[in-house]
Amino acid sequence: MAANGIKEIKRRIKSVKSTEHITNAMKLVSAAKLRRAKAIFERTNQYFGFVTESIEEIFNSNAEVPVDYLEGNREVNTSCYIVVTSSRGLCGSFNANVIKEASNMIDCDPEEPVIVAVGTKGRDFFLKKGYRIEEAYMRPPESIAFIETQEISKPIIEMYNNKEIDEVVLVYTSFVSSMEQKVKAVTLLPFAIKKNPLMPKLAKQVEYEPSVDEVFNYLVPKYVEIMIYRAIVESATCEHAARRMAMDSATDNAREMIADLTLNFNRARQSAITQEISEIVGGSEALK
Amino acid sequence: MANSFRLEVITPERLFYDGEVELVIVRTLNGDEGFMANHAWACKLLSTGELWIQEKGSREYKIAAISGGYIDVQKTIVIFTDSAEWPEEIDADRAALAKERAESSLTITEKDDLQIRLAKVAIEKALTRIHVKDGGYRRKR
Repeated sequence: MAANGIKEIKRRIKSVKSTEHITNAMKLVSAAKLRRAKAIFERTNQYFGFVTESIEEIFNSNAEVPVDYLEGNREVNTSCYIVVTSSRGLCGSFNANVIKEASNMIDCDPEEPVIVAVGTKGRDFFLKKGYRIEEAYMRPPESIAFIETQEISKPIIEMYNNKEIDEVVLVYTSFVSSMEQKVKAVTLLPFAIKKNPLMPKLAKQVEYEPSVDEVFNYLVPKYVEIMIYRAIVESATCEHAARRMAMDSATDNAREMIADLTLNFNRARQSAITQEISEIVGGSEALK
Repeated sequence: MANSFRLEVITPERLFYDGEVELVIVRTLNGDEGFMANHAWACKLLSTGELWIQEKGSREYKIAAISGGYIDVQKTIVIFTDSAEWPEEIDADRAALAKERAESSLTITEKDDLQIRLAKVAIEKALTRIHVKDGGYRRKR
């Protein structure tokens, strides 16, 4: 009996130990990937800052801009939701958080929404719930290139221009710090911008070529493309951060379990020895 | 010595170039245009083409292939583009292959406008890459 128990505990220790090895390795890998993703994310942020600045500049210093993309120029009927999740699991509540936020918004929407899913986890969830997925992008997001995200963003902009959709909402995880990530929903189109009287007019006349309208009409879709690219990069950064944390606590838990099991193992072994000794002593006593 | 100004070339993925230059030549929608220091402020859209950079104190041009984007000319000049490549980063065989593929797709009949446009852009990009790899379409030395 006792020998059996010892064997059982030994086997469990071994299995937990190998799990610990795996989670620990995954943690290290995620930490390295997180560092790389963060670097890309910061550069993208910089580029993004420049483009928004340019848009605001044009908007503020020119009276006339085309209104197609601006807020309040058409009734919002059909909304398009872009849901950015990961394609892999084992990253804590990362995907669950995004999906919860997105499905809350979608459930509140009276019209049938158009869903664009980035990452398999989001796609699978909405497929199961019976929604129509307009488009899905499946590759792991950390290796995505800007050109590839255009495959997602171009059709969306086209649909907006053809009035098939009237609103584009982006749901993704935003990166606060390595320890904290927050789900965010941003309306990309129509473009909400107000004249900012505080912003100084440009000191000099600016030549726009071919024309102000065309430059503006080029910039706004570009803004959408960059926003989507940025969201995917940011979400990949968060995924790694979340996975690193999940794996960290998994490793801690495994170590705790190993400590408990080792204690039990030692106890069982000790009691087996004690029992054996008392049996021997008992036997020799009986012989006297 | 000519006046110089600061040039930044930014793609979504990286800061492609950052430095003091004397002259930069890009292809706008209306054709090639060169910008020097103290140019009037401007904001122009670019098409796929070559980017020529003459660095401060240098007589040689640096060449790169860029695709689309816009140039923001103020005191410093900033070029935003979807992608940018130095000649050494370009795979000439791949560019040639892309060109062939796009050309052969044009020979198939019954095409809609979008496909033709896509093929044209692809050919343009491939040609630019091939030219840049060979040291630029027009040899300015």
